[in-house]
Amino acid sequence: MTSASVELTNIWKRFPGGVTANAGANLRVEPGTVHAVLGENGAGKTTLMNVLAGVYRPEEGTVSLDGVPQSFASPAAAIAAGVVMVHQEFRLIPSFTVTENVALGESPRLLVRNSLEQQVGDLAERFGLHTEPGKQVWQLSMGERQRVEILKALWRDARVLILDEPTAVLTPQEATELGRIVAAMAADGRSIIFISHKLDEVTEFCDEATVLRGGATVAASLPVAELDKSRLAELMVGEATEVSIRRTRTTDVGDPLLEIRDLSMRDVHGVVTVDDVSLSVAAGEIVGIAGVAGNGQRPLADAIAGLAPIESGSIAVRDLDITPASPQARVDAGLAYVPEDRLGVGLAPRLNVIENAILRSYKSLTKGPFIDADAAEQMCEVLVDDYNVKVGQLDAPMAGLSGGNLQRLLVGRELAGRPSVVVAAQPTRGLDVQGVAAIQDILVEQSRTGTGVLLISEDLDELLALSDRLLVMHEGRVVAEFDPDAVTRAQVGEAMAGAVE
Amino acid sequence: MRLRLERRDRPLRGGQVRAFVVGVLIAFAVGAVLLVLSGHNPFEVYQKMLDSSFGSWRGLSTTLTQAVPLGLAGLAVAVAGSMGLWNIGAEGQIVAGAIGAAWVARLGPDLAGPLLIPLMLIAAVAAGGVYALGPALARSRLGVNEIITTLMLNEVAIRIVRYLQNGPWKDPTANNFPVTPELPAQAALPDLFERSNIGLLIAAAVILGFGVYTARSAWGYELRVAGSSADAARYAGISLKAKIFTVLVLSGAIAGLAGGIELTGSSSRLVEGVGGGYGYAGIIVAALALMRPSGVAAVAVAFGAVQVGGLAIQTTGVPASIANTLQALILFGALAAGVFGNYRVVRTAAAAPAGATA
Amino acid sequence: MNETTLIGLFVAVIEFGTLLYLAALGETIAEKSGVLNLGVEGMMAMGGVTAFWAGVETGNPWVGLLVAAVAGALVASVHGLVAVVLGGDQVVSGLALTILGLGLAAFLGEDLVQERARAKFGSLNLGPLNDIPWAGEILFDQTAVPWLALALGVATWFVFTRTRVGLILRAVGESAAAADSSGTSVVKTRMIAVMIGGALAGMSGAYLTLSLAPGWSEGTTAGRGWIALALVIFGAWKPGRVGLGALLFGGLLALEPRLQTFGVEISPILLSMLPYVLTVGVLVLLSVRSRNRPSVAPAAIGLAYRREER
Repeated sequence: MTSASVELTNIWKRFPGGVTANAGANLRVEPGTVHAVLGENGAGKTTLMNVLAGVYRPEEGTVSLDGVPQSFASPAAAIAAGVVMVHQEFRLIPSFTVTENVALGESPRLLVRNSLEQQVGDLAERFGLHTEPGKQVWQLSMGERQRVEILKALWRDARVLILDEPTAVLTPQEATELGRIVAAMAADGRSIIFISHKLDEVTEFCDEATVLRGGATVAASLPVAELDKSRLAELMVGEATEVSIRRTRTTDVGDPLLEIRDLSMRDVHGVVTVDDVSLSVAAGEIVGIAGVAGNGQRPLADAIAGLAPIESGSIAVRDLDITPASPQARVDAGLAYVPEDRLGVGLAPRLNVIENAILRSYKSLTKGPFIDADAAEQMCEVLVDDYNVKVGQLDAPMAGLSGGNLQRLLVGRELAGRPSVVVAAQPTRGLDVQGVAAIQDILVEQSRTGTGVLLISEDLDELLALSDRLLVMHEGRVVAEFDPDAVTRAQVGEAMAGAVE
Repeated sequence: MRLRLERRDRPLRGGQVRAFVVGVLIAFAVGAVLLVLSGHNPFEVYQKMLDSSFGSWRGLSTTLTQAVPLGLAGLAVAVAGSMGLWNIGAEGQIVAGAIGAAWVARLGPDLAGPLLIPLMLIAAVAAGGVYALGPALARSRLGVNEIITTLMLNEVAIRIVRYLQNGPWKDPTANNFPVTPELPAQAALPDLFERSNIGLLIAAAVILGFGVYTARSAWGYELRVAGSSADAARYAGISLKAKIFTVLVLSGAIAGLAGGIELTGSSSRLVEGVGGGYGYAGIIVAALALMRPSGVAAVAVAFGAVQVGGLAIQTTGVPASIANTLQALILFGALAAGVFGNYRVVRTAAAAPAGATA
Repeated sequence: MNETTLIGLFVAVIEFGTLLYLAALGETIAEKSGVLNLGVEGMMAMGGVTAFWAGVETGNPWVGLLVAAVAGALVASVHGLVAVVLGGDQVVSGLALTILGLGLAAFLGEDLVQERARAKFGSLNLGPLNDIPWAGEILFDQTAVPWLALALGVATWFVFTRTRVGLILRAVGESAAAADSSGTSVVKTRMIAVMIGGALAGMSGAYLTLSLAPGWSEGTTAGRGWIALALVIFGAWKPGRVGLGALLFGGLLALEPRLQTFGVEISPILLSMLPYVLTVGVLVLLSVRSRNRPSVAPAAIGLAYRREER
């Protein structure tokens, strides 16, 4: 009998607030394989991996390594047992060198810089990881930082390596390279758990796949070689919700409502983030922007909303130049913005529901220097009713609401001012199935009333279903424009990878 | 079995009041141990503290007078704190306010009281605000941490007074003693009842006014948004730089008022120790009040009572420093207890492997 | 100005420098681990009073120094418990520690005010070294404490830059989440750093009451704890630079009572403001400089850490 290197059995994990992230999840990973854990956003993949990595403790279920039951009290305990997780947000120290980050906590008592850098360099070479051991991490690209994280795990001689959506921050070239590295590690006898919701990656990099839905395992250890992609997709989304809305395209487009010309931006380090972007959104139109995360979508959205400084170019709403305008003046000009960070940008976590509901309009609710409390409450009630936000008490802190309800309130508030243009950044990310559908319905409905919608998303299916026109961003530029009815996923993917002239 | 903190779904209702009570209990329990060890009967000592601070109109008036600078300093810290800023410089701003008020008294020593006192207080407010200008500018323009800049300026302010009383403002009639001249008699704030003066009314009005204003006004709302999330504030069109600047200067001005009232109400001349530690105590007051003006008033009265009680028990041979010790212990007790308002202790059944830590 | 006054000045520079360095070095260690402890003044006072008491009881200054270190560490552990273990606010807790330390020291030292100092650190007797002109008197006619401070400074630098423990300590101060995911205990590391910081502040207080100004009275620390705090920033959290800063600020303290002897017409009080003003200046410069790169200050300073539980 061969022993599985990892076995998770019947894992249950609930969070305060009533969210059940894992409801009887199972996973079995053989040694020396690359195992995909697939599932939609919110399917419980990350939670399950955090259980394995000792970050969370499950209420029920067992974790065993090589058949031996384990109870990790902390990540340290999991690391000691050979399980290391590379989180989506890297846990690196920017002011430390690559070597210092790698060797942190796992080095001889006395540090001899040169010999340590040599050792880190040797290890990197063994697995084909390109890195400069003496460089400080803040100077590295995202792909390089990820390699440092993997190196950290290898340095600790991880037998089980968990990669949480590792390609989200990578360029296609970097992703391909990651595939090679992963294969090299598996060939070395290690088990790699590869969390993803992208089917292409799974078929390319992985040996087996386990699919999670609603916190439970719906298919375990399927051999990828014999996989039918559409069957896999069906398992991920479930049967009932398989049909995504395919809206009828707007045929008669109205006047341009949002016009961006020659927009360029740099980040604080002086790196170009948005490079000479021009686009327009007309009345009643939904324009989608696709792209791998980190290719300028976020700065572009922030620039339109007036939250980030631009270098050159112009932005106009209904022929009114708002380039130098304040965020508030843009709202007055008819712009609504649903930011990527709901709680923290769009909503203030410690304030209550009413206070959040009036965030964009409090200035119009004043009586002298004071805010009219009755008017504010009334406005909040209307919003909560109209957009079906489930709240306990209106004076309870915002942070207690679920993701879907937060987003409904946020989107509702933004649309309450009858905007001409809505910029929605990742509006459905992390929401449950009903939440996604609700938000998509709202956006489509809004466009029917003549509003122009700029939809920025990483969900290609969402973009293909909703958009009238689909733009693709790569390295800060708009590299392609497609008719969503006349394009394949593969073509869009190529453009996202920068494989167009 | 191990113990571990887990965040509550929502904070315990009334948690802060409970935490404060627990803090007081812990402080007085530790204080009792100290008293017993130094050969005193804690019950007698606490009885005397209570009698002297609340037991008579005279005691109550002293307590309330003591609460005035504590409350204003607490308010100053709380105004900045509700936006997530730390004004550690209330101590120095109190001194600056006192200097400003004393300066007016030097310029117009013959002005009638009803004219002189308001002018002195206005100068105190202005001086406190001006003294906060540097940290406010550095923070809003350059992002320089205001904790350290305001803290450093406290020590500078004390030395400015030292410089004045040794040099330019030295009293020529004081036998070469380095003191500033006595203030004109009409510069003293009119009495209210027993040992209190109208500074109490001014402070109460300011704290109440700010409490209502920050709770109800658009300005106070913007402050809370900015305090909750800087990004959300920018998104809502609130200018953070301007807000940071005005809030820090305003905070300084309120502390300056405390200095003005302290000088006109409780001292006969400007001295180095005019700040009296109120600025630092004000930070504790504000923290215990969770940066809310209403809470500031209540905590300030409680702290005023502890200080008055501390002074009173000196006659029985107990050092007055027990008062400061108790105040600090109340804070530590309440900080610790406050954690349990947001977290609860849960037992984890799993045995932890060796070397693991929570 | 003659040779004796000049030598006296240099001796005083080293003495004040030592006083400041011990406390600032301790605070550097705490802050490098991500814990701001504004309680230096209070820990110094507690060290001072307990050292003096132990000196009076035993007649041995080294016992006093040891007792002060233990007392400082114990007082600091209150801050550690509240701010590190329970995750309370570091600013408030640190300031409360100052008030607690000063209050408690005054309370405990009530009966010590009249005591005469029985234990004082004696000068080193290094034989021929003491006979070297200038250097003999300035460097070797000192007590052993300045040399101990120097050794501790070098040791701290070595630990910070050359050892596993130092790397962990700095990592905890830069990013608690990163350190945690590397398998180190954030709370334990910070707690130890805070207590070492307290021990050094206590030793600084001991040096004050057993050597620099023998005796105990309330207020004897006279704001030196705040200078030590300033010094950490002035020295950019580097043990070596903090040491140089200690000599500079110590020099200012030493010059203060001597300005007139040297015939300088500036008020010594204005001079005494310089450490604070310089520190504000350095802070402004640091923040301007660190626009495009990681700040010099430990990135996680002031932030409580609790492993994320959604």
